[in-house]
Order: sequence, then structure tokens, then C-alpha cells
Amino acid sequence: MKRAMTSPDSAQPLILVDQVSLDRGNRRVLDQVSLTVAAGEIYALLGGNGAGKSTTLSALLGFLRPASGALEVAGIDPVSQHDQACARIAYLPENVALYDQLTACENIAYFMALAGAEPDRASMDRALDAAGLQVEARDRRVSGFSKGMRQKVAIAMAVLRDVPVLLLDEPTSGLDPRATADFNALLARLKARGTAILMVTHDLLGAADCADRIGFLASGRIVEEVRPADGIDVLALHHRYGEAAAA
Amino acid sequence: MSTARLVARNEWRLMQRSRVARLALFMLLALATVATFTSIAHRNASDDLRARFQAQADQEFDGQPARHPHRMVHYGHFVFRPLPALAAFDPGVDAFTGNTIYLEGHRQNSANFGDVRQSSLLARFGQLTPAFVLQVLAPLVLVFIGFGLLAGERRSGTLRVLKAHGVTPRDLLLGKGLALAGLAGLMLLPALASLGWLVIAAEAPALPALALALGYAGYLALWVLGIVIVSAIARDPRNALVTLLGLWALTTVLVPRVAPDLALAAVATPTRLETDIAILRDLRKIGDSHNPDDPHFAAFKARTLAQYGVSRVEDLPVNYRGLLALEGEKLTSQLFDDYAKRQFEQQRRQGAIVSGFGLASPAIALRSMSMALAGTDLDGHRRFLTQAEAYRYDVVQRLNRLQAEAVTYSDDSNRNKDPEAGRRVRIDPANWSKVPDFAYQPASLAEKLRSALPGAAVLILWLLAATWLLRRAARRLGEAL
Amino acid sequence: MTALWRHELRIFLRQRIALPALLLMLALSAASVWAGLAEVSRQNAVIERIQPQQAEDHAAVAGHALRDRDPGNAAYYTFYATWDRPSSLAFAALGQRDVAPYLLRVRALALESQIHESENYNAELALPGRFDWAFVLTFLAPLILIVLLHDLFSAEREAGRLRLLRVMAHDRRGWWLRRIALRAGLLLAALIVPVVIGGLIGGAGLAILGLVGIAALYIGFWVLLCLLVSRFKLGSIANAATLAATWLVLTLVLPALALLLINAAVPVRQGVELTLAQREAVHGGWDKTKQETLQAFLNHYPQYRDTRPVEGGFHWKWYYAFQHLGDLSVAEQAAAYRSGLEARDAWTRRLAIVLPPLATQVTIHRLAETDLAAQLAYQDRIRTYHRQLREFYYPYIFDERPFGPEEFKAAPRWSE
Repeated sequence: MKRAMTSPDSAQPLILVDQVSLDRGNRRVLDQVSLTVAAGEIYALLGGNGAGKSTTLSALLGFLRPASGALEVAGIDPVSQHDQACARIAYLPENVALYDQLTACENIAYFMALAGAEPDRASMDRALDAAGLQVEARDRRVSGFSKGMRQKVAIAMAVLRDVPVLLLDEPTSGLDPRATADFNALLARLKARGTAILMVTHDLLGAADCADRIGFLASGRIVEEVRPADGIDVLALHHRYGEAAAA
Repeated sequence: MSTARLVARNEWRLMQRSRVARLALFMLLALATVATFTSIAHRNASDDLRARFQAQADQEFDGQPARHPHRMVHYGHFVFRPLPALAAFDPGVDAFTGNTIYLEGHRQNSANFGDVRQSSLLARFGQLTPAFVLQVLAPLVLVFIGFGLLAGERRSGTLRVLKAHGVTPRDLLLGKGLALAGLAGLMLLPALASLGWLVIAAEAPALPALALALGYAGYLALWVLGIVIVSAIARDPRNALVTLLGLWALTTVLVPRVAPDLALAAVATPTRLETDIAILRDLRKIGDSHNPDDPHFAAFKARTLAQYGVSRVEDLPVNYRGLLALEGEKLTSQLFDDYAKRQFEQQRRQGAIVSGFGLASPAIALRSMSMALAGTDLDGHRRFLTQAEAYRYDVVQRLNRLQAEAVTYSDDSNRNKDPEAGRRVRIDPANWSKVPDFAYQPASLAEKLRSALPGAAVLILWLLAATWLLRRAARRLGEAL
Repeated sequence: MTALWRHELRIFLRQRIALPALLLMLALSAASVWAGLAEVSRQNAVIERIQPQQAEDHAAVAGHALRDRDPGNAAYYTFYATWDRPSSLAFAALGQRDVAPYLLRVRALALESQIHESENYNAELALPGRFDWAFVLTFLAPLILIVLLHDLFSAEREAGRLRLLRVMAHDRRGWWLRRIALRAGLLLAALIVPVVIGGLIGGAGLAILGLVGIAALYIGFWVLLCLLVSRFKLGSIANAATLAATWLVLTLVLPALALLLINAAVPVRQGVELTLAQREAVHGGWDKTKQETLQAFLNHYPQYRDTRPVEGGFHWKWYYAFQHLGDLSVAEQAAAYRSGLEARDAWTRRLAIVLPPLATQVTIHRLAETDLAAQLAYQDRIRTYHRQLREFYYPYIFDERPFGPEEFKAAPRWSE
């Protein structure tokens, strides 16, 4: 099933994972994984539990050191130059955890300040407009926010920081269909701004809806990569995906 | 009820597997053991030392050579407060009160050489005794082990599972409480052993020892109830832990310190120096034996002469100087008693204020009950002071009577001028050993129980309140499921 | 940069536990300072209050003791007051001033039977210790600090923010330093502000900085301990339990064990022994020949060698001579007793090196002059004053000079 990597459309990939292997303890969790994401591209990494999806994200964030292979985020090695790489990444964990005791805007102001920026209210509002958070929610404490609303706050931060790379961990799990559609529209807008987006998910249908490419990860290897735009048979894919996950 | 026992047995198994619980329990038992042994050794050593000093003082008094009786009044006597056997369990205020008093004529000295004044600041951190271990440390260990009893189940969601299996909140609380109570029982073991040992080997009174055991059992039961209640109603384990730690710090560390400060502010006691001055002032008001024209002593003289039907003191069949000494001592002693009574009354009022704080801190209630039963409370010290003063008065008046009866007036008046008279006023030293030795009478069983009653009553009140709260907690737990 | 501090402050203060904990710290600190100031002013008031009473007492004594212009009577009946004023920092650490007297009357008789007298205090009230600032600092402040710091990292991890923070924060060291500094700093401020105000009221001046420094060091120690425990990466609950257990061991268990060890290692029974021996020595004086006693005394005070020998049964010369000889006979025991007490104190200070709560108490009480050393220093001053008193009376007694009201007034006064 393994096949050669196709090279991306753009000559300059913003996310580069090249032949990365990674061990945790004695277990090899990533085995020769390669993928690239170009500017303005959405790449969905699919796989079952324990396939190595989150490990790939952790490696890109510089939290884990690969045993071999190369990683680059906007041309920077996230392991050796962690801070510079982080400055170019926006990251949305599966559950965006914010400070419950702060409002949406206060959270943004805080995290932006940590990243070394002090955005004014107008620019925060513009970013929140882009992320699609209702005006009346912006000065409420986030303790009552749904997952979708928290994601919007986090996306607003990504917009404000104007980072080239967005890493998403299971963004649509637990979202209702309408919120999922909202979120996909939001991704499309970011994509239009030229952001390179890597999302890990196990929602094939959702990924097929919004991703430019889908990579299937099983037991630490990318077993298949498809382009939904090529007109694939999602149902057949679903089948294969299930088999791969079982294998 | 069997469900509750099942829950308890399961919880016991979990506790046995928990490293933290095992370690905490082991540390507490180790400390309790160390406290028990050192406390018994310290009590025995102190008591032996005091007994030895007392014997030495008695012997020295009896062994004095022939002397003028008034010399012996000023030679005086030392008395030592024996340490009750149960002081090995709870030494109470022993270290804070002097344990020896120098008794002499016309003066009331203080009890001196308390341990605290002879120790560095360390003494103010608290003493490691079986009572301290149970009053302060054991509740904290129970908190560490028990805070998550229900809060943990609530967080992990097992509470619902249990509910689905038909376990009622009541069974659950009872079971968890039983498990924790079993642990508390273990903590009580070294104390029970030491109390048993004291009763058998050191002849400590059995009933107070039993009451002590009951009191401490009730106190730990109260903590078990409190922990179960807080754990049942807390939002999560961390809240339960922080709340319980707060309660512990408040009731065993903070309130016991704040209460005495408020008591001192509410009821001021005069200093010893002021009391001394006041007694001298009052004495001058009554009469000045140095002043030949003093009305009080003039009247006394007239009364005495009339009583014996003579017109001159020289004609009295007894030594008038001795009679004067008797009268003078009677006056000062009355004042000493008055002032002591006033001081004791003030101390009692201060004590009552602190006891009132027992309603805010069961540790205070338990402490006062424990000290009362052990015979190491302030009442015990007051008994000693009162008995020492009575003994002082008795010894001094015996000697004054000897002066009145065994020494003639003319010899007494000429003792400094005439060497022969000076020799005759030194009476037979056999008289000294006729003076009885000091024998401290400890509080009777009834008195001990009576002074332990307020503390016990407050503890029972606490237990009743906790039981009521437990029922409410069970209801809330039922609603929350 | 200030923006970050402002944000951190908002995050901290909006935590449910933060403001109540800080206010509690402030209230406890303020209450303890207030209680300490009240106690110190009460002690000062007592010292003021006794002066007229003492004067009245002296006047009354003068009324009868000076009647026959005999210095021996005056010295016998006159009690001279000594007092030990609380230092300007005593309000922060009342220390041993409740169990050791700060007022004592002495007369020119043998001192050893006077100097160990104790105050009338309610032992049950003294038993739990005083509620003073030193107590709040040593025992309560660490507990509140633990409440504020135990979840510094674990809360971020448990809430799932740690990764986001690691990605977003440029300066992670600065991030947590700011957080610790803010929490510990606010706690320290709540602790210190009342004591500084108390110092201003009590007139302590710059000496208060000593207390501030100790508080900062002690809180710093607990901050380090909190950080150390957080390195084990336990959950918030386990952190809190570990820290509270450490607090228990450091502030209650180890000091109690240390007390047991020290008191067992350095027994001080000499106090009782020396008073028993001193009584024998003093009263033995009555049975020795007067010339022998006087001669022994004159070896120490040769300036009175030419005094007339005692005739008859009694003379004050001889009485005061054997009183003083009684003290001298137990001087060695008195020194041993004192060095026993000092040894206990020295061992305590040695242990303080490894027990920060003890070090805090020892240092604060030293600064406040309310420890055993201060108590002994007061006794030294009493000894000096007692000698002045004796030596004031000696020329009148041994040179048999008349002693009238003028002379009575010239007696040395206790100097503060």
C-alpha cells in the first residue's frame, strides 16, 4: 500500500515532515512519516486511536524529539529552535482550554501578551469577526463557552498573530453539525489568507469536506494519501480506512 | 446495614493498598509510640525528682539544730507538687506552672521553676505527648486519608454506578465513615495501651483513664464525621481537602491561640508586684505591729491581758511575742487568702471565656476535659497553691505557738543582750520533726469528673450537631445522584 | 511588560480562592499585630501604673523603717522595683514575656531566693502560646501560601492549558517567575503591611526591616518547597497533601521532637538545687559565730575591715553579711543553672539551622528581645542593680552611719 510521496503544489512547503521516526519508550510510534503542507492548503491526518496523529502534532510543536528524520515549520526546526518555530504556529488543542475566570477578550489579550504582542480592542474585534464569535459574547467570561466558541477565540488569536501555520487537534469532535459547518467555513477563510493548516482527526467525512489532502496514518505510518478534489469514493475510502485502522 | 459494612470493607482494602494512607498511619503510630514512651519516662523522672527534693526538704527541716522558733519561721519549708500518673498521658499545664514553692512566715512566694521558663522558645511549639498526638496530629492524618472518600467517587463517577447497584447514600456514608473510624481506632491504640499501662503499672485511677479514652474516641469520631460530611458535600476532592485543612488549622491551631488572648483582654489580672504592694497596703490599714500606738494591736493587747486577767504582758503565762506573731500571721494569711481567691476567680472567668470557644473548636473542649481528667489542669495547680498556703499557715502558726509556749517573754526580749537567754530561746529540735510533712491531696474522682463535665458536654454537643449534619449530607448526596 | 503583570494579576485575583486567602492573611496579620500592640501597651501601662504604687509603698516603709534611722531596717523593708520594658519590636513576637516576669521587686537580702520568682499568670492561657505576628508568620502564612501555590503548574496541566501556554509564551521562565512572584508577593504584602504599620505605631523605626527580611526569607523557603514538590509532577491534590504534610512535620513534629531531645540532653535541675542549697547557706549563717561570718564577708569587702565587731545577739552587719555569703555560696550552682539554660538555647539555635520555622521564631524573638536570652539579660541587669542596692546600704550599715529620709531618697534607681 505504501507509495511514493507526491510533491506539493507549492515549491515552499510551510509544514515539512520528512522521514520522521519517533520512539516513546521502546515503542516506535512514528515510522518514517513524511508529509508536507503548503501555504493555503488544508491537510487532514486521519487515523484511529494510537495511530500516531497527536504524536505528529507534538513533534511539530517541538515537544517530542524524533529519533530520525527532519521537521520544519515555516523553514524552522521546531526542536532545536523551539521558540522561533512556536512564534509561527497557532495551535488548537482538542479542547481549547482558556482561563475560565477571564472574558474572551481578556483571554486573547493575555495569550497575545505572552506571545509578545499587545493588540488593541479594534484589532481584537476584527480578529473575532474573522473567527465569527458573536459580539455579545466577547466580554463574557469563557467559563460558559461551548467548544465551538472556545475554538473561535483560539482562531482569533491565530488571526491576530498572523501566523503561517495552524495545527488543529480533533477540531470537530464534539461539535454539532451546524458548528462543524461554521468551523469548516472558518477554515476556508484562513486557507484563503494563505495559512498552511494541518488537522488531525478521525472524522473522515468532515475531512473530505474541507481538506485538500487526506493522509491515513496507521501504526505510525502513512499508509495512503488522497485528494478529495480528485473525486474519490468516500464510502470506499471509509471502508479502507476502517480496515487500515483495524490493521 | 450489611451494605454499609460491605462498603466499609471495600474501603479498608483500598486504604490498605494506598501507600499514602499506610505511610501516614505508620508515621502517626510511630510518633504516638515515641510520645508515649518519652512522656512516661519524663513524668516518672520529674515525679521522682520532685519526691526526692521533697524528701530532702523534709529531712532538712526536721534536721535543723536547736533554734528560736521564729528562726524556723524564716528558715521556712519547700513543698513540691507531685505529678499525677496520668500526666504521662496529658501533662497539661505542668510545664507552665512552677512546681515548687518556698514557704516562709509573712510572705507568700510564687511557685517556681516551671519547665517552660527553663526552656528555649521550642517549648512554645508544643510538646510531643500522647495527648498532643491525638488532639492535633491524628485529625490531620484522618483528613489526609479521608478527604477523598466521597469526593473522589463523585469525581470519578463511581458514585452513580454504586447508586445503580442499589447502594443508598446512607449506606455509603455509613460505610465510608466506618472505614475511617476503623483507622481512627488504630490511631487510638497506642494511647489506649499507654492508659492501660498507667492504670496497671503506675496506679493511675481507672475511671478517669477510661473517661479519657472515651473522650478521645469521641473526639476522633467527631473528626471522622466531619471528614465524611465535607467529603460528601464538596464539589471535588481538592475542595474537600482545602476545606478540611482549613477547618483543622482553624480549630486546632488558630482558635486555641486566639481564645486566650481574648480572655486576657476581657479579664485583666494584676501583676504579682501590684498584689504584693496591695497586700502590704491592706496590712498597714489593719494595723502596724511595729507601731506601739497602733489601735489594732493596742486592742489586741488589751484583749489578751483581759483574757488572762493580768495587767502587764510580762505577767502573762505565755510569751506575748509569740501571741503577736500568731496574730500577725493570721492577718497576713487572711489577706493572702483573699487575694488568692480574687485571682482564682479572675482565672476562672478567663477559663470560662476560653471554654466558651469550645463551641468554635472541639479541640479546646477536649483539651480542658483531658487536662481535668489527668489532674493537670489549672485547677490542679490551684489545689496545690491552696494546699501549700494552708500548709504554710499551719507550719508557721505551729512555730509561733511554740514561741508563745516554749519561750518565755523575758528570754525572748533579752535574747540579743543576754547570751544565756539567747541560748534558752533555742528550743529542742525534736519539735521540728513534730511538724507534719506536706501531703498533697489530689482532686477526688467526683471533682475530676465535675471539672471534666463542661468539656465533655461541649464535645457531645458537637457530636450531635455532626450527626445531624451527616443526615443532611446524606440527603444532599441522594439528590445529587 | 506591565501589561503581563496586569493580566497575571487579573487571572490570579479572579480565582475563587485567591482573594479570600489574601484577605484572610491580611486579617490574621493585622489582628496579630493589633493584639501584640495591645499587649505591649498593656505591659507599658502596667510599668507606668506601678510607679505611683511603688512610691506610695516606699513612703509607707519610710514611715516606720526610718524611725530609728537604722539603715538595716530600711534595707530590710524596702522592696525596689525593677522592670523590663518591651522592645519596640516586642509586639510582633511576645515570646516568653507571658511566662517570665517583666516586673520584679528586690531588696538587699540574698538575691537567689528572689530572682527566680515567677509572675502570676494563667497557665492554661499560656499553654497554647500567644497569638502574635511571629505565630501568624511561622504557622499560618505557609498554610495559606500552600493554598495559593500548590496548583501553580498542576492546575494548568489539569485544565489542559499547559500546551497552549508552551506554544504561546515566548519567555516561559519569565512566565512562571511572574506567577510565583505575584502570588508570593501579594501574600507577603498582606503579611508585612500590618507589621510595618505596627512598627510605625510602636516606634520601631528601621528595625522593622529585620522582620520584613525574615518574613521574605521564610516565605521564600516555602515557595522553594512548593516548587520542589511541583517538580514531582503530581496532581494538585497530591501536591496539596504533600505540602501540608511537610508543613506538619516542619512546624509541629520536628520541633516537638527537638524539644524532647534538648531537654533530655541538657537537664536543668540546678535551679531547685541551688535554692535549696542557698537556704541552707543563708540560715546556716545563724549558727556560725558572728565573727567568722563577718570575716568571710570582709574578705570580699575589705573597705569595711575597720568596722566595729558585732556584740550581742544580733546586728544588721552580720545579717547582711551572711545574706551575701549565702548568694556567694551558690554562685557556682547559679552559674551552672544559667549555663544549662544557655546550652538549651544554644542547641535550639543550632537546630534552627536545619529547621526554617524554628530559625524564623528564634530570629524574630531575638530581634524582639523576648527570648530566653532577653530574660537572662534582664536577670543580669537585676543582679547589677541588686549589687548597687547592697553597696548603697553597706557604708551606712558597716560604718554605722545614720540613715534618714535624705539618705533613703538617694538610693539607686532602676535605670531602663
